[in-house]
Amino acid sequence: MANEILLRARNIRYSQGGRVILDNISFELKRAQITTIIGPNGAGKSTLTNIVNGLIGQFDGEIERSPDLRIGYLPQKVYVNTLMPLSVERLLQLTQLSSDDEIDHALSQTEVGYLKHRQVRSLSEGELKRVLLARTTLGSPELLVLDEPTAGVDVTGEVKMYELIGELRDRLKCAVLLVSHDLHLVMSRTDQVLCLNQHLCCSGLPESVSQHPEYLALFGQQASDSIAIYAHHHDHVHDVSGEHEDHHHA
Amino acid sequence: MLEWLDDFLLRSIVAGLIMVSIAAPMGCLMVWQRLAFLSDTLGHAAVLGVGIGLAFQTKPIFGVLAVVLLIVFSLSRVTSFNNALSETTLAIISHTGLAGGIILVGTLPAQTVNIEAILFGDMLAITLSDLATLFITTLILFAGLAVNWRAFVAVSVSREIAQAEGIEVRKMQFLMYTMIALLVAIMMKVMGVLLIAAMLVIPTTSARLFSRSPEQMVLISGLYGLAALAGGIASSFQFDWQTGPAIVVSATLFLLLTLAITRLRSL
Repeated sequence: MANEILLRARNIRYSQGGRVILDNISFELKRAQITTIIGPNGAGKSTLTNIVNGLIGQFDGEIERSPDLRIGYLPQKVYVNTLMPLSVERLLQLTQLSSDDEIDHALSQTEVGYLKHRQVRSLSEGELKRVLLARTTLGSPELLVLDEPTAGVDVTGEVKMYELIGELRDRLKCAVLLVSHDLHLVMSRTDQVLCLNQHLCCSGLPESVSQHPEYLALFGQQASDSIAIYAHHHDHVHDVSGEHEDHHHA
Repeated sequence: MLEWLDDFLLRSIVAGLIMVSIAAPMGCLMVWQRLAFLSDTLGHAAVLGVGIGLAFQTKPIFGVLAVVLLIVFSLSRVTSFNNALSETTLAIISHTGLAGGIILVGTLPAQTVNIEAILFGDMLAITLSDLATLFITTLILFAGLAVNWRAFVAVSVSREIAQAEGIEVRKMQFLMYTMIALLVAIMMKVMGVLLIAAMLVIPTTSARLFSRSPEQMVLISGLYGLAALAGGIASSFQFDWQTGPAIVVSATLFLLLTLAITRLRSL
């Protein structure tokens, strides 16, 4: 089912040491949709992803997952030890054994099959990120939870990362929950935006969120403009020869 | 059946072999998790344990166990998930333990203690009961490693990934600290408090130069440990050197040799 709901969050509330971190959050994650959480530092983005992936089990409200929902999770900061002799292949099997085929398949998902036998310490930052992203696809997950997957990657790398995430969504037909700071890069590929600042300021399609007063208050007119510009730049389709036709011009 | 252990040289060789076998996996985990300094700290503070053990007229190893376990329990309470152990804290514990221990030992009747044996080990004076303690504790440590190896390696590679995939990182950290404390307590007799860390770090560093997987590094560390042990005991016998220091020096010679060979091969 194309628009099957894989996870439904209702009235999520979470506080820590008397401080409210998340207040009354509700949303749905659907198959083959990319949902992006944006919000300022301390907005509770990582907390929300940890509630979704089950790392935080104590909270108020309700998370309804489709039966046996398989989740692939990429944490925000992953420090990989470079003191250790460790092949990429082994990194993929750190906490569970996988067959050779599964490993090849996972690595090919993010176009890094050629790195299989390389030592992890010899990888560049971008290569490592793609290997880690491949890792999350092991066991064919139905939901990918990616907490700032491009942190520490240069701009070209970022664009490539978001392309790969889009392709993964198409191929695996999985839901993707993404936390991001790169507003304009992310917006164009997102089906649903959750603008978070302890409470859900606004949510919906990128275009409508970027015009929402609470969004503007948080990120300013400039951020909204950059999305508008981006949307405008990409308001055309490429044909086979590489020429493009504009649909409309203001 | 075990009459052959009556020979002091055989006893010390067996003790050395047991120590090398457990030092390889433990040393690798400690180097990966940057915990080598912890073993040094526990070793130094163990002098206080020896003093306390002797002052209460029990076996020194009981005093040592009490002190090192107390230290690791306190450390695992104060360290948070992300913070590595603070070097300053470790240095303070290390040197206070050593200084306090030396003072305490100094107040005891001179014939009860051999400070040199505490500091640098006295492998040739190992008794059957020392050997039994070493053997049983090593078995316990191996059991702990066998059950938790995958989790220990995962935590060493990335605490974040391990945590995200259901490994209780803090629990594993606490277990690791406790196992290091046990290791230090049993290695003390063989290597002396000042040289324990050397035996955990030097063979491991040699192995790291050309290992391709965690397990391979453990095996190769074991071989380097074996070579250091053989070289140390032989030179100790030949030139009447102290055994502990002789083992450390030969471990370093093997490291330098390996470095030289890898350099030459990469030319």
